[in-house]
Amino acid sequence: MLSGIFIGVLAATRHGVRFLDHYPGIGTIAGAVEQRSLEALFTVLMLAVAFSVLTGAIATLYGSQDLPFLLSLPVSPVRVFTLKVVETYVSSALLPALFTVPVLVGLGIERHAPAGYYLIAMAALLALYALPVAAGALAALVLMRIAPAGRAKEVATAASVGLAAALVLGMRALRPERLGNLTPAQFDHALARFAELRVSWLPSAWGSTAVWRALQGHVSVYALVLAVVSVLVLAGVARVAALAYRAGWFRSLDATGHRGPVGVLPAAPWEAPLARLGPAGGLLVKDLRLLARDPSQWSQLLVLVALAGVYFISTASLATEVQRFRDVVGALNLVFLGFLMAGIGIRTAFPLVSLEGEGFWLLRTGPLRARHIVLAKFWGTMPMMAVLGGGLGVAVAGRLGVSAPLALASPLAGACAGMAVTGLGVGLGAAFPRFDAASPAEVPLSTGGLLYMALSLGYAALATALFAYPAYRTLRAPGTFRWDSFDGAVVLAAVAVVTALWTVLPLIFGSARLARYESGLG
Amino acid sequence: MIEVDGLVKAYGRVRAVDGVSFTVRAGEVVALLGPNGAGKSTTIKAITGLLRPTGGRVAVGGNGLESAPLRAKALLGYVPDRPYLYQKLTGRELLRFLARLRRVRDGETRAEAWLRHFDLQRSANELIETYSHGMRQKLTFAAALLHDPPALVIDEPMVGLDPRAAHDVRALMRRRADDGGAVLLTTHSMEVAEAVADRVLLLHHGRIRAAGTMEELRRRVGVQDATLEAIFLQLTEEASRAGSP
Repeated sequence: MLSGIFIGVLAATRHGVRFLDHYPGIGTIAGAVEQRSLEALFTVLMLAVAFSVLTGAIATLYGSQDLPFLLSLPVSPVRVFTLKVVETYVSSALLPALFTVPVLVGLGIERHAPAGYYLIAMAALLALYALPVAAGALAALVLMRIAPAGRAKEVATAASVGLAAALVLGMRALRPERLGNLTPAQFDHALARFAELRVSWLPSAWGSTAVWRALQGHVSVYALVLAVVSVLVLAGVARVAALAYRAGWFRSLDATGHRGPVGVLPAAPWEAPLARLGPAGGLLVKDLRLLARDPSQWSQLLVLVALAGVYFISTASLATEVQRFRDVVGALNLVFLGFLMAGIGIRTAFPLVSLEGEGFWLLRTGPLRARHIVLAKFWGTMPMMAVLGGGLGVAVAGRLGVSAPLALASPLAGACAGMAVTGLGVGLGAAFPRFDAASPAEVPLSTGGLLYMALSLGYAALATALFAYPAYRTLRAPGTFRWDSFDGAVVLAAVAVVTALWTVLPLIFGSARLARYESGLG
Repeated sequence: MIEVDGLVKAYGRVRAVDGVSFTVRAGEVVALLGPNGAGKSTTIKAITGLLRPTGGRVAVGGNGLESAPLRAKALLGYVPDRPYLYQKLTGRELLRFLARLRRVRDGETRAEAWLRHFDLQRSANELIETYSHGMRQKLTFAAALLHDPPALVIDEPMVGLDPRAAHDVRALMRRRADDGGAVLLTTHSMEVAEAVADRVLLLHHGRIRAAGTMEELRRRVGVQDATLEAIFLQLTEEASRAGSP
């Protein structure tokens, strides 16, 4: 699989470089575009490393099972933590690095780079990703000192996800579509600044400059700076980690000092109506409590809110004066809503059964059928997903000001997609549970996750085909399509049948498979 | 109360449990003993519904685990050897959740009573992730007893318990049997088995090699004052010599 990705990225890079080099009228700006693109790639991947390294660093620098053993050996703590920093580097930066290698190789081949280029480019690459790793590891060390005892992992997860969500929203808030509204003079000015290629203070700019000079057979001073800085910061972090260890990092691991309130705490008032629903209600109360307390769960919701926000801002920004164009965007919205909900479902619905974790034996040995568990999970999530999909549909259709048939189709498509992906996610999540997953994000990395993605995209495609008819009629001859007509009823019935099939069949399949599940219980 | 008839559990060609049959009657404590890998935990997991038998039948209170699983499970309380619980719930919340799951009347009152019994009231509002292994084990006992089950299945009951709690658990098992309950336990502690069990089953390589009261087992090995440990060692050695699979 890795070799497939390598070959694919290599081919795409070579094709992209050739395309840019021969683009009509691009002239000397082609090189600037490529260098800026490389810089952007470095920036994005460095940020990706930075987001993942915080929790990873805590896991390797503090939570490693072998750490107490290693520190008990007659070896200097600095050496032990140097090893751990390298481990952090590999676990956080390996994938981005593997993705970047074919890009650099493709660039070298297309530009007929000298042999030294490959050496310098790889060194620059390794040095670049060392910087976010060092920053993340340092942040983890600080966090372990200042976070409430035993809560550093939670704070780190929350900080990572919060940062990621803020960044995504922030980048979207820049509204790059405004470039389309520039006057020719303003555009020329922007282009001239773009092509200047001044090296900024960002390490990603140092990296791209080092790579570019190496393409021309030169060793840039930026390459040397990067190499020296990265080695120094990694070594520095290892030393600081060893010092932090000496200063007593057991404090941050020790959660036994926590004391809850004393006395008999009654159930919260909000539990009462749910508890009346019987075992399913009890399960829901428990799930809500775990959701609120486990940052790896609620942080997923934060990402989803950001995703929904970006979707709304992006779609709403396409609003124009022309009704026909608004309807075109409205019709596209019907397509995208399905895909968006599929993406949300894999993070919310799919992991639900697996989140029972190693406590699943409590349910399995109780007087409860597998289908009761699966249905409780489904009903606990489906309303939220349907409201989210429907709400997004209403908001986008309202903001765009689409025609009446599309104004109804939009929330309908969103709500139905919400229901279908919940059924599909809960069902397939139950059929392929991963009770040993360390976090909800890890659960879909399985056959079930792949099947979910294929089937949820299949649903989105099918729903798109069904909604294409009213959309086509609305665009072709505005005002001729009505939902209360025979045609409208047929479309609604077809959507209902497809949604019901996508919802119910996976739930049945998942219940049957979960009932037979027996690996690693209790 | 607990009936196991011709139980077989196979993993591919390997039979972890091979035709095991026994009963645990109301009012008795039965200890299931055996060396590591004998099939004790597999048997226990088949009884509690965590594993599906390849063959044979398990029933609790006359309810087959295959034909009437909900009724069978409603009569069972289970304490596993590794007390995995929801880390982010408090002890009290866990018992409340299980009371709802099992539709226990007076769930709150019972939960408080068991928390008191196991001396967990002071930590009942703390997250389970902060509990020691012994506290988790005690909470698991409370969870298993919450619905007052007539049949109790316990896998390695003394692991992680302090001497006081171990003594309490031993007394509790005996008391439940004396009150008409059925208790099945697996243990590596011969001392515990000898102290609380009315009957002992010796499992080796997935088969029952010996079963009976202490007196019956002593007669079997032909030593009048043999301890359970001596009996265990002699019988497992015999079974190994007999060329068990």
